[in-house]
Amino acid sequence: MKNRADLIIYWGGNPAECHPRHFTKYTIMQKGRFIPNGRKGRTMVLVDIRETPSAKAADVFLQVRPGKDFEVLTALRAVVKGQRVDAAAVADTGLSLDQLTDLANRMKACRFGVLFFGMGLSMTRGKHMNSAAALTLAAELNAFTKFVAMPMRGHGNVTGADVIMRYTTAFPFGVNLSRGYPRFNPGEFSTIDLLVRGDNDATLVLGADPGATMPQPAIRHLSQTPTIVLDPKVTHTSRLAKVHITTAATGITAPGTVYRMDEIPLPLKPPLVGPYPTDEDVMRRIREAAERKAHIAA
Amino acid sequence: MLRIRGGKVYDPKNGVDGVVKDVCISGGNVVTDVDGGRVIDGTGLVVFPGGVDVHTHVAGAALNFARGLIPEQHRNAHPIVRDHIRRAGIVGATPTTFATGYVYAGMGWTTVNEAAVPVLSAKHTHEELRDTPMVDKTCCVLMANNEILLDLIEAGDHERVKHVLAWHVWAAKAYGVKAVNPGGVEAWKFGGDAKKLLEPVPGYKTLTPADIVSGMARACDELRLPHAVHLHCNNLGAPGNVSTTLDTMKALEGHRAHMAHLQYHAYGGDDWLTFRSESAKIAEAFNASPNLTCDAGAVLFGTTVTITADGPWQHLLYQLTGKKWGNLDVENETGCGVVPYVYKEKNIVNAVQWAVGLELLLLIDDPWRVSLTTDHPNGAPFWRYPEILHLLMNADFRKEQIARLPEKARSRIILDQLTREYTLGEVAVISSAGPARALGLEHKGHLGVGADADVAVYHAEKDVTKMFSHPRYVIKGGEVVVEEGELRQVVEGSVTAVKPAYDPEVEEFLRQLFQQYYTMSFDNYPVTPDRVHGLQVNELN
Ligand SMILES: [Zn+2]
Repeated sequence: MKNRADLIIYWGGNPAECHPRHFTKYTIMQKGRFIPNGRKGRTMVLVDIRETPSAKAADVFLQVRPGKDFEVLTALRAVVKGQRVDAAAVADTGLSLDQLTDLANRMKACRFGVLFFGMGLSMTRGKHMNSAAALTLAAELNAFTKFVAMPMRGHGNVTGADVIMRYTTAFPFGVNLSRGYPRFNPGEFSTIDLLVRGDNDATLVLGADPGATMPQPAIRHLSQTPTIVLDPKVTHTSRLAKVHITTAATGITAPGTVYRMDEIPLPLKPPLVGPYPTDEDVMRRIREAAERKAHIAA
Repeated sequence: MLRIRGGKVYDPKNGVDGVVKDVCISGGNVVTDVDGGRVIDGTGLVVFPGGVDVHTHVAGAALNFARGLIPEQHRNAHPIVRDHIRRAGIVGATPTTFATGYVYAGMGWTTVNEAAVPVLSAKHTHEELRDTPMVDKTCCVLMANNEILLDLIEAGDHERVKHVLAWHVWAAKAYGVKAVNPGGVEAWKFGGDAKKLLEPVPGYKTLTPADIVSGMARACDELRLPHAVHLHCNNLGAPGNVSTTLDTMKALEGHRAHMAHLQYHAYGGDDWLTFRSESAKIAEAFNASPNLTCDAGAVLFGTTVTITADGPWQHLLYQLTGKKWGNLDVENETGCGVVPYVYKEKNIVNAVQWAVGLELLLLIDDPWRVSLTTDHPNGAPFWRYPEILHLLMNADFRKEQIARLPEKARSRIILDQLTREYTLGEVAVISSAGPARALGLEHKGHLGVGADADVAVYHAEKDVTKMFSHPRYVIKGGEVVVEEGELRQVVEGSVTAVKPAYDPEVEEFLRQLFQQYYTMSFDNYPVTPDRVHGLQVNELN
């Protein structure tokens, strides 16, 4: 990407504010082996429902009507394949057929294209369908040129959690181990669904702040049942938890590994020493204590 | 201390071919004799050195990407239910890490070589290997599409090629060097491929895939790496690729090489309609080249997922099947593709592939130079190896299976003409002693004094699939881990890495180029020894 991408598309994301180092470190600002002129050698397109600060960095900004991403992606796939597209139907998405045709041409003409899709695409109406459409579009573009698609993830080490869940349970999230083996059913076993339905008796929260982002019924369930939070700082969730264990901040006072969004792991070396135990430490001690208790009970 | 008394022992490295004798174990090694300790009655049982897999994909970013792509397969796969010794998991085409260890050891295999590790994500591979118990591990670092290395080969700077290779092997805590579709993956980053061995790689002035192959093979030899260059030839899976494979053998100019999953490189025909077996030509050239070893990369009918660093091939497969396709490019080193796949008996191409794997295993006359693999999970999951042994040991069974193939497929293969049947001694070679020798692992694949005490004890029976799927006992590092066909104990495995000697100056040379081309800081790039669980270092001078 750094060395080759001459077309960079951000869809439903605001990297200027959410991933501030993305532009300078990985994409548009970098000089690459095959992009010797850096920014001048690349075209940046931003697709979003509003004009965020990222639009300033874009060569082309396309404003889509909220909830119309799937329609735009589908029309775009058709334009790329040279199929006939109804201009009136396109107009309903907030974009014109000319804008789509221009984008399709840029996509087919580039040497190496990248499509980053953010939570504005994967977490709004259509969710999985939107992500699938974005990935399919990128796959189909490989009939014309080299094209890749990549999700821009949320805060924290979400990618790392996803990676480890996959190699230990075969599934990325929404895993239920209550039968002694992993079962996967997003929409049924995902955290948010369990909490909203009130299926779980207790919750352990590690490196996340669901109290800040989840819907009211989920937050209510968290506050009415035993919730334990491991976090270096006070969060919305820690305020409503029964127990808050203060842990060392990974990367500041604790070592660890974070996964980049492209699943490359980076080791963290803590510059400071702190008084608090690491998350790993606390989890191990909880497990050992539970085992001792089980032993005594038996 | 442990004694396996009176079993029929197959230990090809030490010239033991079905001799009734005792095997004695103490302190994790095979010893001449023990006084006391546990005794296992081996009467009527067959004793093998533990299986060694020379080429498999059990850990790493690409495999883990595949796991995420096939939830529908996992749902139908065999689950592992958590109990007092085992962690939960899923088996299927891409078993989870703990499951991988349980299942390999559960069929008597105790050493695996993970065949494709990009340096950039080697840390991740080692994280997965750490959670893969029961087996000892090695891995090969992917180099043939590393841009810094390719520039040096093109410039003819052979001395530095050697140092750069050596540095990368140690940086990745790898054991050997893997070359995948030399030059082709690099070209794929711009959507191209390198199909002709003697034509320049797109984007380079003079550098050809042949230059890369011979340059790397020579460097591995001169560095005296215990395992030869691990070579995945150009043009994998394509009709008519037999000529590329034969050209590659020539390009090696007598240097050692291990040719991975040879089945995928032994095809004739001009297109998919005329696709046919060319295993006879490949086997003939291979038999005449004592510098080469290979593994079969055999295919079995059924559902799996294909995953390889060969991006162009995967894209072709996607176009052929119209199924899911995932592609990863790993910065300046390599890339990979993932496609779920079903090999069908009634599909002519698949039927030919099935036959070619078996033909090569039967036509290569020295079993020491051909190892049993399916390029797991590409040709079939590794836990189906016993089915291949069944086909190799029983010509009548083979005939029955051939009869089920479409008429057209039968005219494109020669399997029906091959009457050879593998003996138990030969099975011990292709599944243990041979791959251990190809890898240069001196303590593996045999039961001589000083060998690692990895032993599989089978109950001899007509149903070969059953026999090799469910050993009576498995001993790993001297511990009895399987008893009466059940997992009784979970043990950790080691990771052996090679540390070749290199000029420290090469580090400064790489640092400068690295900071120009990569997005990671150079000091974060190597895997530090503390991150590798059970690390054993083989230091070369
Ligand atoms: Zn492979």
